[in-house]
Amino acid sequence: MREPVVVDEPAPAVVERPRRRVGPFLLGYGTLLGLVGLMLAFGALRPGIFLSASNLRNVLEQIAILGIISFTQTIVMVVGDFDLSVGSLASLSGVLVATLLIGGTSLPVALLAAVAIGLLAGAINGVLVAYMRLSAFVATLAMMTSFAGLALFVTNGSTLFGLPEGFLWLGQGRIGPLPLPVVVLATVGIVTWAALGHTTLGRRWYAIGGNPEAVRLAGINVDLVRFSAFLASGVGASIAGVILASRLASAHPTAGTPFMLMSIAAVFLGMTLSKEAQPNIPGTAVGVLILGVLSNGLNIMQVSSYVQQILTGLIIVLAVSLSGLAQRVAR
Amino acid sequence: MPDDTPGDPEVEGSDPGLALEVRGISRAFHGVQAVEDATLEVPPGECHGLVGENGAGKSTLIKVIGGSLAPDRGTVTICGTPTTGSIPRAQAAGLAVLHQEITLIPQLDAAENIGLGHAVPTRAGLAVDWPEVRAHAQRAVDRLGLQIPLDVAVGRLSPAMQTMVAIARAVAFEARVLILDEPTASLTDQETVKLFDVVRRLREQGVAIVYVSHRLEEIFELCDRVTVMRDGRVVATDAAEALDVDRLIRAMVGRSPERMFPESQRQPGETLLSAHGLTGERVEGLDLTVRRGEVVGIAGLGGSGRSELLRLLAGAQRPRDGQLRRAGREVSFRSPRAALKEGVALVPEERRSQALVLTRSVAHNLLLSDLSRLGGWGGLVSKRREAERARGIASDLQIKVAATRQNVQELSGGNQQKVVLGRVLSREPEVLLLDEPTRGIDVGTKVEIYRLIRELADAGRGVVVVSSELPELLGLVDRVVVLHEGRVTAQMDADGADPEVVLSACYGRTR
Repeated sequence: MREPVVVDEPAPAVVERPRRRVGPFLLGYGTLLGLVGLMLAFGALRPGIFLSASNLRNVLEQIAILGIISFTQTIVMVVGDFDLSVGSLASLSGVLVATLLIGGTSLPVALLAAVAIGLLAGAINGVLVAYMRLSAFVATLAMMTSFAGLALFVTNGSTLFGLPEGFLWLGQGRIGPLPLPVVVLATVGIVTWAALGHTTLGRRWYAIGGNPEAVRLAGINVDLVRFSAFLASGVGASIAGVILASRLASAHPTAGTPFMLMSIAAVFLGMTLSKEAQPNIPGTAVGVLILGVLSNGLNIMQVSSYVQQILTGLIIVLAVSLSGLAQRVAR
Repeated sequence: MPDDTPGDPEVEGSDPGLALEVRGISRAFHGVQAVEDATLEVPPGECHGLVGENGAGKSTLIKVIGGSLAPDRGTVTICGTPTTGSIPRAQAAGLAVLHQEITLIPQLDAAENIGLGHAVPTRAGLAVDWPEVRAHAQRAVDRLGLQIPLDVAVGRLSPAMQTMVAIARAVAFEARVLILDEPTASLTDQETVKLFDVVRRLREQGVAIVYVSHRLEEIFELCDRVTVMRDGRVVATDAAEALDVDRLIRAMVGRSPERMFPESQRQPGETLLSAHGLTGERVEGLDLTVRRGEVVGIAGLGGSGRSELLRLLAGAQRPRDGQLRRAGREVSFRSPRAALKEGVALVPEERRSQALVLTRSVAHNLLLSDLSRLGGWGGLVSKRREAERARGIASDLQIKVAATRQNVQELSGGNQQKVVLGRVLSREPEVLLLDEPTRGIDVGTKVEIYRLIRELADAGRGVVVVSSELPELLGLVDRVVVLHEGRVTAQMDADGADPEVVLSACYGRTR
């Protein structure tokens, strides 16, 4: 160890910090308050129905698939990119599992194949973005199109039915009081939360999102780390696709499409909960809950799905502008 | 010149003879007194130097003068108009502030940038009268005696040209008070000379100038009077002729400068890193040796290839030709990562854009190069151990932080630079390549970094330093290598080296 440098009379470092005000606090936690407010509002409008234990479990079950995709999408967005191919990849993986199972493949092999297709798709995205330096927008948009086409090609555009009983347990079964998709959701949530916040890989992901050039000069293999983020997102999307097919007891070649935009919206909503307006897992969980509560509550209120879609769009705009505001306040 | 000390007797009303009158300004942040009872008076046609270490309160005072920060106490008067706490009033009264980071619109050309904020001249109230836009800009540029290409997007101009455009913009607004905050930080020596001409011209035209710089030679070259701040207070205001560098430093740090540069043991050992015929975009056929225990200085103008040389040595840029040897073995660094594994580490030139992840904490930034020792690839990190390691480095280097989880952006420039150094040292490299290690940081921290560099050399490391401050380079290093247009024009012992000879070599002239 070196001797510490001796300086006489160090000058006091005057650090300018923004004053604590109510505005930034509201911005920082506004999204969370929004969720609570939303739940109370639906609870008041439909007393005894919305806030009942069975409905809340229902909400969790409904958000499980979106949640899994959003958690792994968070990783890609931490790195500063996004993955537009997750929706069609989820469809593709569901279609693949269904085709294999209907063809007589055993369940474990079919599930492994789904994870493998997720890894492969993530690897393609990762190579395009990290190594061939395409923008994430172009690369994942192109792959989104190709995966969607592949899913349609495999099924010839039709929905696959007749899935085995054992497979349906994945999407419809329970462990104790908890639906299995919720258990998977919680597992993916904990794994991604630990990976982002408590591992050296997570440190690398966040650092690259902040300043890739500095990270490269600090001696980190930026390309490989960025590649790994797309792998994670590929696996997340394929797991979600399997559960989706199981829950619906069928595999439709476009079933996963809505999850792409919804997952990005959830991450943006979650970014408003971070002081530095960065993607983070607890925030994403809140974002997913908001979207899920909104959808469930409006369903209970018998609001048409068209109006729901309008509201979802407005929520996305709100998310983006809020996270922009939070960022400006943090500066 | 009379010696103006703070705490003058109460003056009722303002002195109409002054262009800028700052009286009794105090401002605290979270109970920390950033500026305390500061007074500054600048008559028209005076260039007034403002110096002080980082954290002395200069930036806060400038923000108060500019109106973007309201003081707790005190008043700002510009050309007789009270403007305290209001940006529009300060601008209307004739104030222009040029910050370190020039705020121009990069896609627009110089003429349009200079004309921004003025009514757009039109023909028949409709079509933009482009000849008049240009003429308006040209008039401002002429007053500065400059040649600026008015029809090129300013984003494509050099930093120096952009500074000139920003000054021309101030002139177009008829600014009576101009504040220049570290205007030469990104300029080469030639560009600095040009800037000085412009500042002198403005002074002759009666503009009052407040000139903030860490480069004390500039202060003496340019300023009529100098105000020194320390710990938020104005500790001295005096005519520049009555001061010298030593006295200025003493006033800034509140102690005598002793020796800024530590003694060298001058016993270089075996060769740690050598380059033969190294060629990049600018650097051409360059030979260099770095030996154990020595500090090698690279002198040269901006664009001479000095930064590229370090990047080539550190694997940050692939050479087009040439050979590198590390401890006698031929090596080829494919990336900074490969160089680090061989014990060669770079502190890059631009702290904010190339070295720090500004959105993350001090701990995260400090340990970025050494994450694998916190856990495996993807391995779990113990936050407690992470904080301990970060605190260890922070106290070794005397980095002033409230907590290592504090955002690195909140630190002063000097402490940020120490974070970068701490990160590099965490890998215990044998060869350190430091590009402008003291740029834009205060004198106190500079001295600490000089000592650190010497300690590292004495402990058997080889250090290469690039610096555009010649006195610093000659004082700090053992051997100077001078680059001009990518080639070595001179090489000499720093001890007893003649600054004029080095500077001539920088311009390509060898004696």
